[in-house]
Amino acid sequence: MSDNRIEGYARALFEIARAEGTLDEVEDELFRFARSYESSDALRNALTDEQIPAGKRQAIVEDLLGGKATSTTTQLVSMVVGSGRGRDLPAIIDKLVARASSAKNLEVAEVRTAVPLTSDQQDRLAAAIVNATGKQVNLKVVVDPSVIGGVVATVGDTVIDGSVRTRIDQLKSRL
Amino acid sequence: MNVLGIIATAGRFVAEEEHLVTDSDGNIVTHSPWLPETAEIIWGGLASLIIFYALYKFGWPQMKKSFNARTERIQKELDGAAADKAAAATEAQGIRQAKGDIAAERDRIMAEAKAQAESILADGRARLVTEVQELEAKSAAEIEASRSRVGDELRAEISRLSSAAVDHVVSGSLDDATQQELIENFIARVGAAQ
Repeated sequence: MSDNRIEGYARALFEIARAEGTLDEVEDELFRFARSYESSDALRNALTDEQIPAGKRQAIVEDLLGGKATSTTTQLVSMVVGSGRGRDLPAIIDKLVARASSAKNLEVAEVRTAVPLTSDQQDRLAAAIVNATGKQVNLKVVVDPSVIGGVVATVGDTVIDGSVRTRIDQLKSRL
Repeated sequence: MNVLGIIATAGRFVAEEEHLVTDSDGNIVTHSPWLPETAEIIWGGLASLIIFYALYKFGWPQMKKSFNARTERIQKELDGAAADKAAAATEAQGIRQAKGDIAAERDRIMAEAKAQAESILADGRARLVTEVQELEAKSAAEIEASRSRVGDELRAEISRLSSAAVDHVVSGSLDDATQQELIENFIARVGAAQ
């Protein structure tokens, strides 16, 4: 899909969420869904398979998110998948998150950890990133077992990598 | 009658039969066996002179002409023989020269063939040396490549095994407390950075 179309979908989702008054919540839920989508081949294949009818793909989305996310989030994802743009869902959601953060003069800080962070850890981590980058950030935490341990924080083009995964990779390279 | 009387009687009978003149003893009387009659001498001499003159007048020129012709023919034959000899000498010289030329040509061909053979041998040796060097270089490169490949494969295998071992060991050793410690260390480190 072209950048303009992705941007258009992101803007539409952003406006709907803002109009619903659930932008922060929807943005966070969509961000988490996008990361789950990226890490699961089965989910990605199911939502992008043109052989599966759109209604059935939307039903999969509703089964996955129903009761776990707001109805707005579920409806937005269902809409994108139903329109056959499931393949671009992560890009659309990233644009939406960036737009939402930008609306609040924030920079998206994607943090990947092997285990969930407590609220206190998230607050302190956000403060530390603000201190390190000089930017106000919208912290997005992704639990990613591939990190193994530690934290990887990405703010724009800046990557602060304190993961065990990277250290192991460095060790492998030396080996 | 003695023998002489018998011979004389026989002589007389023969002379009578032949109408020859005999002497009183019955011996046959003839002219001198050595000197002819004078008239015979004169007429004979004249006839001889006439014959000699005729021979001189008519025969001698023919003979002289014949001698000259013969001399000329002999001279021609001699000249022809000399010419033939000269031609033979020339031809012999030519043959000798040709023989010399053939020898020189043979020497030249032999020298050329030898040079060509040496050139071919030199080229062959050079090509062989080059091929051997190329083969050696290729073999060395292949050995080096094999060594490198084996080394790479070994390193990759070691790395893979080590990675698997590290992943397994590290993942197994990262309990919750360690995870929290890593996170706290990260927050502290990032927070300390400006």
